Amino acid sequence: MKRLDAGEAAAAAGLLAAIVALWWLASHQQWVSKVFLPTPEAAWASLIDGLAGGDLGGFTLATVGRMLVGWLCASVLGIALGALIGSSAAARAWLLPTLEFIRPLPASALLPLAIALFGLSPVMVLAVVSFGAMWPVLLNTVHGFATVHPRLGEVARGLQIPPGAFAVKFGLPNALPDILAGMRLALTVALIVTVVGEMIASQAGLGHAILLAARSFRAADLFAGVLLLGLIGLVSNSLLAAAEHRLLRWQRP
Amino acid sequence: MIASEATRISAGEATAPREMVLRFEQVSIRLGGREILTPTTLEVARGEFICVIGPSGCGKTTLLRAAAGFVAPSAGAVLRGGQRVSGPSREVAFVFQDYGRALLPWRTVHGNVALALEAAGVPSGQRGPRIDAVLATVGLTQHAHKFPAQLSGGMQQRVQIARCLAQQPELLMMDEPFGALDAMTRESLQDELARLVTDRGLTVLFVTHDLEEALYLGDRVVALRANPGPQRPSLARVIDVGIARPRNQLASKEDPEFLRLRRELYGYLGPAHG
Amino acid sequence: MVELAPPHARHAVIPRWVARLRPWAVPALLLVVLEWYARTIASQSDAIAPPSAALLAFARAASDGSLATATAFTLRAAALGLVVGALLAVPLGLLLGLSRRAAASSFLTVELLRPIPSVALIPIAMLVFGFGLRMELAIVAFATFWPLLVLTQSAVRQLEPQLLEVAAALQLSPRKRTLSIVLPAIMPRLFVALRQGVAIALVVSVTVEIGANPNGMGYALMLSQQSLDPAGILAWLAWIGVLGFAINALALRLQRALARRMGESAP
Repeated sequence: MKRLDAGEAAAAAGLLAAIVALWWLASHQQWVSKVFLPTPEAAWASLIDGLAGGDLGGFTLATVGRMLVGWLCASVLGIALGALIGSSAAARAWLLPTLEFIRPLPASALLPLAIALFGLSPVMVLAVVSFGAMWPVLLNTVHGFATVHPRLGEVARGLQIPPGAFAVKFGLPNALPDILAGMRLALTVALIVTVVGEMIASQAGLGHAILLAARSFRAADLFAGVLLLGLIGLVSNSLLAAAEHRLLRWQRP
Repeated sequence: MIASEATRISAGEATAPREMVLRFEQVSIRLGGREILTPTTLEVARGEFICVIGPSGCGKTTLLRAAAGFVAPSAGAVLRGGQRVSGPSREVAFVFQDYGRALLPWRTVHGNVALALEAAGVPSGQRGPRIDAVLATVGLTQHAHKFPAQLSGGMQQRVQIARCLAQQPELLMMDEPFGALDAMTRESLQDELARLVTDRGLTVLFVTHDLEEALYLGDRVVALRANPGPQRPSLARVIDVGIARPRNQLASKEDPEFLRLRRELYGYLGPAHG
Repeated sequence: MVELAPPHARHAVIPRWVARLRPWAVPALLLVVLEWYARTIASQSDAIAPPSAALLAFARAASDGSLATATAFTLRAAALGLVVGALLAVPLGLLLGLSRRAAASSFLTVELLRPIPSVALIPIAMLVFGFGLRMELAIVAFATFWPLLVLTQSAVRQLEPQLLEVAAALQLSPRKRTLSIVLPAIMPRLFVALRQGVAIALVVSVTVEIGANPNGMGYALMLSQQSLDPAGILAWLAWIGVLGFAINALALRLQRALARRMGESAP
């Protein structure tokens, strides 16, 4: 990310301000009905009130918690299974076609099955979040382990390094860029499935909150919730990107 | 001048029978349906520096890999210390030509050398001093905390050599290690290599396509043929290099013996020779 | 990419027919196990059904037209949404790629709006459009807009500088430059972006249908669960999976073929 100079930073802020100004105009001039578009001040007020005294803080924590727990489970499982499968050419040959078939499947499509199995419960949402978020991590881990350069394989053979140590010292670091990219994708999936899961299972959280706000025509609350979800996406992604940056220092000498 | 160096002047003048650390007994190797190496017999004594030359496709790299246990012979046997070589061993260190690919890019210089000690099960407390010592030998002490991508080609190759030295091997196999480097780096690395091989009494098998390099470094030069046939075995010539040690980039290369051997072996580099 | 198993693998040569059938081995095994399990241990379950029952449910849906209706709805919403997203993103991406000032000014706004999960817009879209095609289309358009924007912009930034110098030397108008030089040059990367857009569009469509929209394949799937029809659940799930896989594979083929014709190797 290149550094912006003062002029460019001003222009960037300016554009954002212009958009907010447009929003202000559109809502106050009723170009769009207040039912759909709240005024910026109303949305902001709803956000502050909700976080300070209302339930918004609790909802946010619930959503974030669900997303993180599911994502962590997914990552641990995905890396472990991916390492096992990726380290074995035979396992890859037999399993990859099936794994690749599951890749394009929308994770949310498993929600109905999960509801049938677990009922409308927090466990149900968590199960689907974990399962759905696991695939990008697993597939990327397999790829990372499978693409250790043959020369490094020979170096390991020359030093008589056993398979377990090889996976840890060679496979895992080699796969790390792929794994981290997969974990980023998994985070996006986790957030999406959490929100949809909350919507259809009426679980307390931001997803459910914004659905209720829409149904009661509370546009300001709706926008406040959407902004919070955007913020969750932004912060989680940025944190992971920063971690990636630190862990992959060796790629940028 | 160390006493041991005086004995290496000419292998033909050795009085005591020398210990054979590596032996190829009628080793032939088939790869991809072709016989790369016809039955070849060769003995390597402890402390010898053997250079293997030949045109591309003559099997010199294959010979090296067989000695290191990466390739199994189709017939005959490779013996090390009297035992048949069945696979790679830590006693035999291998320096690859593509140094960039042979180093772990995610580990520093220090970490890459540490790999050899980790593999040998050296306790972590003892690793530090040994790594420092070996890095000092190859002159990379200031660069210990850099990543391979931050190093020049010559330095990367030194890291690989350092890792191999850290194995404390009996044998050092080197596959055109300086081929991808510029002339000046190559020359300084050649001298460094000669020095540390002598200091440690290592036995070396060194593959190169550069005849002058082979004559400069080797006690003996083995010339292989490409496309061997029934009447033309892979092993074309073995000559002793009777040039005084320690050798010098300028003086040794003007030595009449150097020039004579060079003229004699020149033909063996071409693709079609007798 | 060079592939390698760790040092201790044996590389066996397998007969052609084994290689052909191997991808189907694990799925076939899973189906057999599921069939047995569903018919014995889980025979009373509302969630698990044997694949054979699912096949029957699928045939029924195919014959009474519900399969076609639902599939057509989802595909139409996905396709139209992608078209709208692309029509908005590509020109804007070209602009941002060609003008450093525009790119710098928009960076902040894009980075703040991009992370909003598309599903978070479901309630807003519901308010504005009600249920139906437009609501889903709008969300798909939002979801595909951002990746297409970013990818188009970076494709333009990665152009050979000489190409733009040629345009300047020939004194081409901005319109001519864009149409004759920039657009053709970024085509291969644009195809890659569009292929990714197809994948996103399909997933988002189905997700919106699961979450709220009572139309399309996702809704049919939800309906099966609500009617306690496990065979239906499995049938729709499998159909969504197969369709998604086929469309993605087709898009990949298309992308590669077009890239080959334009003389560049695409990822």
